[in-house]
Amino acid sequence: MSTSTYTTPPAANPHPRLRPGRYGIAIAITAVVVIALVISSLLNYVYLDTIPGRTSLYGLLAVALVSLGTYIGVRAFTRDRASRRKHLIRAGVLLGLGTLLWLLVIDVFVFTQAAGPWIAAISALACIPTTAFGLFVVRRMDRNEKEPWRLVLVAAAWGAIVATSLVIWGETIWDQVAQQTLVPGPGLDASTAFSAGLLEELAKGLAVVLLFLVMRNDFDDVVDGIVYGAAVGMGFNFLESIAYMTNLYAIFSPDGLGWYAAGFQWYGRQVLGLFFGHATYTAFIGAGLGIARQLPNKRQKAFAIVSGFLVAIAGHFSWDAWVQFFPIDNTLFGLVEMHLRTLIMTGPFTAAVIALLIFGIRYEAMGLVDQFRKEAATGSGAILPDDVPILASPWRRLKQRLRALQRGGVRAYLEVARLQTAQLDLAMERWHRERQEIDTPLEAEDALRQRVIQLRHWVPAP
Amino acid sequence: MSSAPYDQVQVLYRTLLVFATVAVVILAVGLVEFVYFEPPGQATGAKARIVGVYAYDPATGNSLGADRSAFTRTEDFAAVVDWSGLPPDLSVDARWYDAFGSVVGRVGPSTPAQLGNFSIVAVITPPGMHHNLPGDYTFVVERLQGGVPVEVLARRIVLVER
Repeated sequence: MSTSTYTTPPAANPHPRLRPGRYGIAIAITAVVVIALVISSLLNYVYLDTIPGRTSLYGLLAVALVSLGTYIGVRAFTRDRASRRKHLIRAGVLLGLGTLLWLLVIDVFVFTQAAGPWIAAISALACIPTTAFGLFVVRRMDRNEKEPWRLVLVAAAWGAIVATSLVIWGETIWDQVAQQTLVPGPGLDASTAFSAGLLEELAKGLAVVLLFLVMRNDFDDVVDGIVYGAAVGMGFNFLESIAYMTNLYAIFSPDGLGWYAAGFQWYGRQVLGLFFGHATYTAFIGAGLGIARQLPNKRQKAFAIVSGFLVAIAGHFSWDAWVQFFPIDNTLFGLVEMHLRTLIMTGPFTAAVIALLIFGIRYEAMGLVDQFRKEAATGSGAILPDDVPILASPWRRLKQRLRALQRGGVRAYLEVARLQTAQLDLAMERWHRERQEIDTPLEAEDALRQRVIQLRHWVPAP
Repeated sequence: MSSAPYDQVQVLYRTLLVFATVAVVILAVGLVEFVYFEPPGQATGAKARIVGVYAYDPATGNSLGADRSAFTRTEDFAAVVDWSGLPPDLSVDARWYDAFGSVVGRVGPSTPAQLGNFSIVAVITPPGMHHNLPGDYTFVVERLQGGVPVEVLARRIVLVER
């Protein structure tokens, strides 16, 4: 392997022929998702009137383009620099086309019908800063080794585009059958809540499962799982917020209450519910997968994954089924009640996932510090004994970068940041190898070590 | 320094199992709630007859025109029920639900014999609103047991257009 062509260490599984069996599972899940989307779009075409039916077919094409573009984009980063640019351009073109088609679909099909394209655009613009803030915070939660933005955004995009597309027909059919057969009231509400909890969490969870299966190098433990799960939930929440804002605007605008209704939805979903609702539920699915990632036997892995899904479904169900028991007064005190309701009903789930996160961060930090010391003891030069206390503390790492910024400007800051990231990657690889939970060849670890040593030459001495 | 204790993942795993146990309890409570409000084996075979859904004049309290399945937001409308086909001692009521699941019109609960004079069940525009909210409206004639609706004797869904 020539170092002149490889600027980054090879992927954990650089040889397609050596790809483990989990790739087969990932392909099977993807095939099922694509088939479900095709059926959904065909049902739309057959059963909805002509224009929405056609836009639904465009929607299918948009999903295919986004999926293909995402795949090419993600894989581009495992290629050498020479071909990476070409693959990134291809991915960008496909994603751009898919996004344009998708915007056409949501504008024409979903939102224009309800409130018109301008209201849809304003709603989307209102939700972008809050969702972006949420994703920023969620990614920052992983203090030791932050997930790549491309994967966090892929997770959010799945939640917004693919997961919502997957659940439309399942929920529609379930609700139609329930509406025609059940007694209206709490029983019907419980049925609808089971539908939302089961179908929406399964659709969102598929994204986290696929990341777990395909991007194993960037899915290290419970912390990563929580980050990806929350990102998927925030993507879903983004599109659901727009749908509710436009729909309720259309419903209440004849009475002059359209903006009030849309604003209320925005606050409830994008401020109050940003971290409490979908983000919390799907974070549990990620937590289950992240814990399974580090468990030794298959039975425990299966239990952990099922447990994550169960908690997510139960959390989602409990909100949808029992929110009616906490009515909000149409007075000023209603604002207080609204916050208390979220705190009481979803707060315990959010607290539980935060507990898993904090424990996971501490455990991860312990493992990494141990590996920093072991690597320093080898004398390879990738991690020096003096590096250990700095790498062990996110604050000290930041201080080191800021010192570099003062001395050498932005370039020096970025070089130190790259070096720290590479050192953390090496420690993480060592940690997984020591725990025998990695299927990459030892060459990958050596390549990471060489990468660190190479970067160290570029970084000016302190 | 020794390596990080392996048991830490087991602690996370067990914690997750505890959360999952709570989740199972929540879902079981949901199932019990569903069965309580949708008790199995409640089919009496009795069927109510909904004559139709018509435009409605609140001033006179009369229905107008032909049976319809869609209305505009500004139109008042009501369902007309024929109570005569039901056993006279059943406890029943009739309700309109809007698209949000709120009750927006109701007669009963009482027996069909006593409700005979209340054959028109109108939709009431929610307080503070000038028009009906759009969406599917569900009209049901229900049999009650212990004050809880347990069986739908007749059902009709109409659309209020945007």
